[in-house]
Amino acid sequence: MHSVSIRAEGVGVRFLFDRYQRAVTPALARLRRRGTETWGLREMAFAIGPGEGVALIGPSGSGKTTVLRLIAGVLSPDAGRLDVNGRVGSLLSTEAGLLGLLTGRENATLLGVLAGMSRAQSEAALDEVKHATHLADAFDRPVLSYSEGMKARLGFAVADHTGPDILVLDEVHEALDHEFRQIVAERAHLALSAGGVVVAAGHDHPLLATFCDRALWLADGHIAADGPFEEVRRAYLGQGA
Amino acid sequence: MASTDTLAPVERGSAGSLWRVARRSWDVLIALTVSDLKVRYGRGGWRLVKWIADPFALVGVYLVLVTLVLDRPGEAPGLSLACAVIPFQLFTTTIVNAMSAVAARRSIVLNMGFNRTLLPLSGALTETVAFGASLLLLAVMMAIYGVAPTLATLWLPVVIAITLLLAIGVAYPAALLGIWMPEIGNFVMSFVRVLFFIAPGLVPLSQISGTAHDLLLINPMTGLFESYRDALLYGDAPGGFELLYPAALGILLLAVFVPVFRSEQRQFAKIMEP
Repeated sequence: MHSVSIRAEGVGVRFLFDRYQRAVTPALARLRRRGTETWGLREMAFAIGPGEGVALIGPSGSGKTTVLRLIAGVLSPDAGRLDVNGRVGSLLSTEAGLLGLLTGRENATLLGVLAGMSRAQSEAALDEVKHATHLADAFDRPVLSYSEGMKARLGFAVADHTGPDILVLDEVHEALDHEFRQIVAERAHLALSAGGVVVAAGHDHPLLATFCDRALWLADGHIAADGPFEEVRRAYLGQGA
Repeated sequence: MASTDTLAPVERGSAGSLWRVARRSWDVLIALTVSDLKVRYGRGGWRLVKWIADPFALVGVYLVLVTLVLDRPGEAPGLSLACAVIPFQLFTTTIVNAMSAVAARRSIVLNMGFNRTLLPLSGALTETVAFGASLLLLAVMMAIYGVAPTLATLWLPVVIAITLLLAIGVAYPAALLGIWMPEIGNFVMSFVRVLFFIAPGLVPLSQISGTAHDLLLINPMTGLFESYRDALLYGDAPGGFELLYPAALGILLLAVFVPVFRSEQRQFAKIMEP
């Protein structure tokens, strides 16, 4: 079995804007020529090994979501190198990748395939996913009718069911009710004890502390501190954030 | 040089296995298309009715008007018009779908890594399913005019395949435009509609002479429209240029824009921020 790990070396993510300050892609920026750029992350370096639960803490706009998106493969670094070894399960927004006009069941099938399962595997897993969501009959209703919490439950259940080695969570677990938060924490512990990795960002530090022993404090796209969770959390809160 | 090896799970584990990558891409493509079709046609028995009724509502009424009411001159004018309008419909709906292909799946694009290069292709497949129902209209028009199928009708699958190739080829630049400059969507569609009128859509090429005839050949739609007429109306094999020109253009568009789309796909999340 391969060793689950995440390694970032000098990673940077650059955002480009045209002269009207609209975000543009590099190809369009080359066509439009005049514009500005800003680095969302710069010279970021860290390594996360098997069994590590890592919390990303810091103020809004510090780069937490960008780091998670890099790990999930949503973005690529514009500088440096990022190696992610392991199957990634991600829940990065309360929308959780769900399409409103599809039912929970249809979304679960689609997301299962996009996450790496075959169509047959994804369809075969539907009953278990439905059970894990606790959505009962709502599982067959359009997601448009769901609350944020219901969406997060469905998104998490699908991400969890794909058997991820690396679980990436961005604040959305904070939208979950108490009962389901416990399930998320249990799943995170299971993943960690199996040699997996959990990386989670959020402002609910007590919740993060339940499955993260280590924290990265991000500030302005840099790592301000990296160490044991409580130590980094105290340093972050102590500086008046 | 920036790099990452964060790829979708199967892609990462099977760099040397083209078969696994192809099978995974097929699964993703079908899953995306099926979800698209469910959004469009709904669920249950009525979806078949909607699938058949959609093209009739879109262009069928117009064709019936031309065929039964306007009494235009020429050889089976309604069928001749259908041979242009119906393939053009696939072309335009594919562009419309492609321009919103990424934005419509914003929540997925922002949540997980997968091969987004498949999004325009999936949109084209969805429109192809819709196009399948439009082919019934061609059969109806042939029946109305008493035009019997000939051996040339066997060319129809080839002509349809080239229509799809061109539509898929156009889907990639359209998808990029939809991401880069969504505000020009209406202008793009106006330009696309012009392509119909600078092709022999309303009248066949044989009724156009002189410089206009030669200029119309530049438009790839000309070859497609005439190919459908050859196969379904005239009973002739389509000319080589009629098929090869749009096919070559489709391949050229894919060769140029698929790599651009691939290199841009990991940047989409940056410009889709709320």
